[in-house]
Amino acid sequence: MKAKRLISLAIAALLLVMTAVSVSAATLTDQEPGGDTEVKAHISGGNPPGEVSYIITIPDVVDFGELTQPTENVDDYKDVTYTVTATKIEGLDPATQQVSVYVRDQNATANSNQDFKITNKSDPSVSFMYEVYRSESINPVDLISGNGYVGTVGWFLYGFTVQGESLTGTLHLNQAQLYGRDITDLVGEYSGYMVFYSAVQNL
Amino acid sequence: MSNQTKKQKKKAIPIIAAILLVAAAAVLTLILTGAFKQNTENEPDDHKGVTGYISDDWDPNVEETIGEPKKGTQIPGYSSAEMKAGETSLHLSIGNPKENSVGMFATLKLADGTVLYESPLLKPGQGLTEIPLSRTLEKGTYDAMVVYQCVLLDEENTPLNAAESGFTLYVN
Repeated sequence: MKAKRLISLAIAALLLVMTAVSVSAATLTDQEPGGDTEVKAHISGGNPPGEVSYIITIPDVVDFGELTQPTENVDDYKDVTYTVTATKIEGLDPATQQVSVYVRDQNATANSNQDFKITNKSDPSVSFMYEVYRSESINPVDLISGNGYVGTVGWFLYGFTVQGESLTGTLHLNQAQLYGRDITDLVGEYSGYMVFYSAVQNL
Repeated sequence: MSNQTKKQKKKAIPIIAAILLVAAAAVLTLILTGAFKQNTENEPDDHKGVTGYISDDWDPNVEETIGEPKKGTQIPGYSSAEMKAGETSLHLSIGNPKENSVGMFATLKLADGTVLYESPLLKPGQGLTEIPLSRTLEKGTYDAMVVYQCVLLDEENTPLNAAESGFTLYVN
């Protein structure tokens, strides 16, 4: 009899523990009144926090091809185009928001206004400046450094509001920078990198 | 064996059975509450310290456009992210879209330069959604960004242009 009573008690204990597990997640007590009763809210883009809300397509690389040393000291420009596209945009209110894209030279530091440069890979002291335009034609109004440089992010390039929208601009390098220099000091491969900063901003 | 010893053994059996049942109940409780659960999903790779779980079929969950594929590199962007103060992981979808033909190193950092996470090389289609953070953050609103350093998928990982996706990080 004693054994039966003990087994019954043990089963009862087991059932009690299991019940406590299933209920514990929903228990509220007077002793711990929830801790935080602050009600907060914030409004963000239409996509849930942490999810991808847009995709910007940037050029992989900027290649001026072969540069030639001019024989006279006159402007001799080499232009290449680049394209930035709002490949995907979700949950953005185009009336009040845009995906703003800024650009700067890789070596630019905060508020440095540094020009865009390509640098000789084997001799970093040799470099040539180039300008960035937000159009295919070279109009001074489209020179991006004509606008203010923003903090650490760079020159404002464009504000995208619609999926599929594209901007084709031009990189403009004056080969007159090579004029009169010893060509043996200049030969080699050059590289320069652009950094594109993007963020959802209110209009 | 004496009768008394036999009686003692008989008494001990139900007690042992009861103890075993209670022990089984305790183990069951621990299993149900997840105390034994191993976090295999976010197991860090030992490539670069804290790296998180990299998925091979990372999907930015944005509707694809129809038409000719555009040249260039696709860079994901974000409106915001949220976490609780003191937490050591952040839900943020960081990855290299499968349409790309380049590799990426992704770095999550605050506007003041504090680095919260650095990824190993992400090949096209690779990414992660739960980011293990190198430090916890206090309650507040932070300017944050994911820096995507694009590289060629060659032996040297030759650098290409880079991109930064800025967003607001809310720590509640």
